[in-house]
Amino acid sequence: MSQTEIWTERYRPSKFEEVVGQQEIIKRVKSLVQSMNIPHLLFAGPAGTGKSTLALITVKELFGERWRENYLELNASDERGIDVVRQKVKDFARTKAIENVPFKVIFLDEADALTREAQQALRRTMENYTNTCRFIMSCNYSSKIIDPIQSRCVVFRFKLLEKKDISAVIKRIAEQEKLKLTDDVFQTIYEASEGDCRRVINLLQATASISPDVTSEMVKMISSEAKPKEIRVVLDYALAGDFVNARDKLLDVMLKESVSGTDIIKSIQKEVWNLQIEPEIKVRLTEKTGEAEFRMIEGSDEFVQLQALLASFVLAGQGKATA
Amino acid sequence: MNDKESFAEKYRIEKSSELVSQEKAVQEVKDFLKNFPKKKALVLYGPAGTGKTSLALAVARENNLEILELNSSDLRNRMKLEQILKPASEQMSLFKKSKIILMDEVDGVTGSDIGGIPELVRVITVSRYPIIMTCNDAWQSKLSPVRAKSKMVEMKALDRTAIARILQNVAEKEDIKKDPTFFSQIATKAQGDVRAALNDLQSYFSGENVLVDITEKRDVEDTIFNILRRIFKERGNFLDLFDTTTMSLDEILLWIEENIPREYKNEALAKAYYALGNADVFRGRIYRNQSWRFLIYQNIFQSAGISYSKNMALPGFTKYERPKRVLKIWLHNQKTEKKKTIARKYASLVHCSFKRALRDFDLLRPILKQDAVQKQLKLSDEEIDFLQK
Repeated sequence: MSQTEIWTERYRPSKFEEVVGQQEIIKRVKSLVQSMNIPHLLFAGPAGTGKSTLALITVKELFGERWRENYLELNASDERGIDVVRQKVKDFARTKAIENVPFKVIFLDEADALTREAQQALRRTMENYTNTCRFIMSCNYSSKIIDPIQSRCVVFRFKLLEKKDISAVIKRIAEQEKLKLTDDVFQTIYEASEGDCRRVINLLQATASISPDVTSEMVKMISSEAKPKEIRVVLDYALAGDFVNARDKLLDVMLKESVSGTDIIKSIQKEVWNLQIEPEIKVRLTEKTGEAEFRMIEGSDEFVQLQALLASFVLAGQGKATA
Repeated sequence: MNDKESFAEKYRIEKSSELVSQEKAVQEVKDFLKNFPKKKALVLYGPAGTGKTSLALAVARENNLEILELNSSDLRNRMKLEQILKPASEQMSLFKKSKIILMDEVDGVTGSDIGGIPELVRVITVSRYPIIMTCNDAWQSKLSPVRAKSKMVEMKALDRTAIARILQNVAEKEDIKKDPTFFSQIATKAQGDVRAALNDLQSYFSGENVLVDITEKRDVEDTIFNILRRIFKERGNFLDLFDTTTMSLDEILLWIEENIPREYKNEALAKAYYALGNADVFRGRIYRNQSWRFLIYQNIFQSAGISYSKNMALPGFTKYERPKRVLKIWLHNQKTEKKKTIARKYASLVHCSFKRALRDFDLLRPILKQDAVQKQLKLSDEEIDFLQK
């Protein structure tokens, strides 16, 4: 395979020994693999803690060079509907495994995105192909996986990476890529990544794409660019009486960040208490906000209801309670 | 009977270059044919009598293309459709012309019936020939699947002087002698519609010397602009205001939503949106429970409710705008189409979900801008362009 340009892939560990953190899990999975027979596995834990990586290492160890022919990766949150998943599993499981391992491996990523009904259907599929296939499933919360599936799997719980683990990853990449980092970069990246290793590496590559001399300020700039908080701007326009701009901005935010109306209204509800207006008016605005949210859930048009809410903010900006 | 032929038909343009005031549209249609099959379909949209069909016919003639006309009932006739859509290889010989499919007035195609919009979309997908469609209002929601597959070209209403000039040209050829104000009056009355102007010219000429009465409106339905003007400028109950238009209540709601801030400020603004919010609540209930009786509530909230929100109307003339929201959402979706395809390519390479790639897109952008990464992902030129923006 040719050298990849994307660092999350370039520095993805390909042996058990290279994985940082999760040492207890690594040890157990490794011994399973050495017996050349694995049960179904369920990896539960936050994003970027090594679930996919461990699944990949497992199949590489099992199948060696020809792992690709015996491995199918599906992402439950992308594959529309359980029928697609089942069809793909069926097609894949039809032929026997190549190499001296008697089964193939299916990695079902983000399995908690499947509805309970879909999981029930998946359980049947798992049973039907149990002779020819092993499933590795990943999820953020194992509580969202139905019991019958959990009981068929060995469950491993991944923890958030600690600061020392993340620092080790950063150090290794910096050496290989010949980056110069200031000392505070480690702390800044750790904070911005929230323990998510994929985000750590992406942040590092995004920052390094600007300059190989990476400073804490640059990391902050890149990570804040990626996380805009624009609802306050919308409200400030409205409070200043500029309804038209508030409305345009609102639509922009909704489209650009592709957030739903209910997400917007949640952040408005929080932001109300940070505004420079009379507390009594804040209470009235909260009432309006709640009503708008209720109406949206009930099936009203999100944008019409949000505009009505913004109009109340225009009045609040003049010290008046709502009409 | 030839002298009874209507002026509009008789003087239909021969060449696309003769089309008045639509240079941009003409160029876009030519580009479309040149780049075919990059986009397979094109929608010419704009008010009546601006030359949509004329342009399509002229361009076909100039490119030596045979025109296949399709209408909405053809969409319900699979047999005929299959014949029209027969692959080029079966029909084309050296001596036969290639074809272009013209579908006039797609506004009339129903949204979801058998043979409606889905069939039209299918035709666009399988057709080996370029398809040109015309319609008046391209932004109706039912047409959104068609928009997604088509290049959109707007044709604007002609201004008074342009129409007057056309009238004068035709008058010369017909040997009609009149002073310029006569043409100008007809042109004013036509409100951007060349066909209407030519029809008027013909009727005045064929009859006795009737004076043009510019106060006499062409018999069209009440425009949305008049409806808005009455709601916003007057205070009234307006219980049957919407009976004079064929526009749906939901569409009128969008127009009101767009224009409230142009007329109302402060308290009136808040009250008006409150009323509109109520109208919308009932709209939701109508759809959910199919309780059409609630129409009356939606109707009252979005007419009287809006009208009585103010104590006094804003004096003077207000220029109303068409609802921008639908257009904006559509434009945005067009733009993010590339974002999606890029995210998909990226996700397939790095063992993460497409959704996660979309969510992290802003963070990934500097990485995706690198040449080597773009090469590895095999990004198309358009996708690379998108990232540069």
